[in-house]
Amino acid sequence: MAKNNAGKNERSRAARQAAEIRREAAKKEARRRNLAVSAVVLVAIVAIVGIALAIQSGRDSTGASATPPAGAVGDFGVPRGDADAPVEITIFEDFMCPVCGQLEALTRDFLEPAVDNGDVHVIYRPVAFLDRYSNGTKYSTRSVNALAAVLDQSGPEVAAAFHDLLFDNQPQEGTDGLSDEKLIDLAVEAGADRDTISAAIEDRAFGQWVVNATDQASKDGVTGTPTVEIDGERAEGSIAEVAAAMKAAIEAASK
Amino acid sequence: MQRVVPWLALIARLVVGGVWIAAGALKLPDPAESVRAVRAYELLPEAIVPTVGYLLPVVEVVVGVCLIVGLMVRPMAVVSSVLFVAFIIGIAAAWVRGLEIDCGCFGGGGVEEGASSKYPWEIARDVGLLAASLLLVWRPRTPWSVDRFLFAADAGEGFDPDFDSDFDQDPSDDLQPDVNLEGRV
Repeated sequence: MAKNNAGKNERSRAARQAAEIRREAAKKEARRRNLAVSAVVLVAIVAIVGIALAIQSGRDSTGASATPPAGAVGDFGVPRGDADAPVEITIFEDFMCPVCGQLEALTRDFLEPAVDNGDVHVIYRPVAFLDRYSNGTKYSTRSVNALAAVLDQSGPEVAAAFHDLLFDNQPQEGTDGLSDEKLIDLAVEAGADRDTISAAIEDRAFGQWVVNATDQASKDGVTGTPTVEIDGERAEGSIAEVAAAMKAAIEAASK
Repeated sequence: MQRVVPWLALIARLVVGGVWIAAGALKLPDPAESVRAVRAYELLPEAIVPTVGYLLPVVEVVVGVCLIVGLMVRPMAVVSSVLFVAFIIGIAAAWVRGLEIDCGCFGGGGVEEGASSKYPWEIARDVGLLAASLLLVWRPRTPWSVDRFLFAADAGEGFDPDFDSDFDQDPSDDLQPDVNLEGRV
C-alpha cells in the first residue's frame, strides 16, 4: 500500500513538473511573440512619425529666398517718413489683429503730423500671425502681400496711404477678411496702378516674403501683435501705455 | 476596486487620447505657426525649435490615435506623461518669467493680453491629464483595446505584469459585480 502510494505521488509529481515545464515554455513563447509584435508595431509607428515630420517640414517654406519689395528697409520694414528723423518707431502689426486697430486709432492723430514734420521715422513690420482667423482665406498673408506689392510698385507714400486704408476698413477677426477685389480697390484708392497691382495681389507676388517677414519677427522675439519698439527699445504695458510712450518720445525729441 | 480600475483606465485612455487628437489636429494645418508657438516659450535653442514645432503635432495625433484604439497603451502613456510634464514646465516657466503668451496648446500661440490669467487653469488641466496618463502607465490593460488582440495575455511577469492581473478577458463580466444597486431598495 505504502509503496503504491509512494509510486502514485512520484507519478503525480512528475506530471506536475511536466505541466510546469509546459506552462513555462508557453509563457516564454508568448513573451517572445509579444516582443516581436511590439517591435513591428513600434517600427511602423516610428515610420509614420518620420514620414509625417518630413511632410510637415516640407509644407513650411520658411526661409526660402524671396525678393523684398523695392523700398523696404532692413528687408522686412515698410518705411514711413524721413529716415533721418530723431525718433524711430517700429510697429509689428497684423491687419487682422483688433488690438493693432486700436493702437492705430490711438496713435494716428499725433503720428501722422509727426511723420509729416520729420519728427519720427515709422517702420512698419507687417506680419501674418493670424492667418487662422479668416476662415481659411489667410487674410493676414493677403493683406501684408498687398502692402508689399503697393510699396514695391508705388513707393512708401502710397504704401502709407494704403496702410491707413487697411485699418480704416479692418475686418473683424474670424471673418473672411477683405476680398482680393476690395484690396485692389483700396490699393488703387491709395494711388496704385490697377493693372499692375491686381496681378501682384491676386498672384501673392510677395507671399514668400510674407512668410519670411513673419518668421523674422518671431526670431526677433515678437510673439504677438502689436509690438512697438521706440528707438530699438521694446515698449511694454497696455495699448494705452504704449501709445502714450510713443507720443512722449516724439514730443521729447521735437522740443 | 480591482475591477473598477480597468474601466477607469479605459475612460482615461479615451479622454487623454481625445485631447491629444484635438490638440495635434488643430496644429497640423500650419507648421510655421506651430514653430512660432514653440519659439515663444523661449526655452529651447533655436537650432531645434523648428523640428520640435513640426514634430509635436504629429506625435500628439499619433499618441492620441494609439490611446483611443488601445495600441501600445503603456509606451504611449509614457510618452503622453513626458509631454504633459514638459508642457507643465513650459507654462510654469512662462508664468514665472512674466511672459504673456497663449500656450498654443490647441493651435495659435504667441502673445495674448491677459494670457497669464489662464496659466493656473492650463496647469491644472495638464496635471489632471498627466494623472490620467500615469494611471495608464500603471494599468495599461483596458477593455476594447487593440493590444488585447495583438498581445498574448499569458506571457507572465517578464513581459507585462498586468497581463496576469485579476482582470479577466471578457470585459462584459467585469461590469456585473460593480453594478450599483442604486434604486433597488
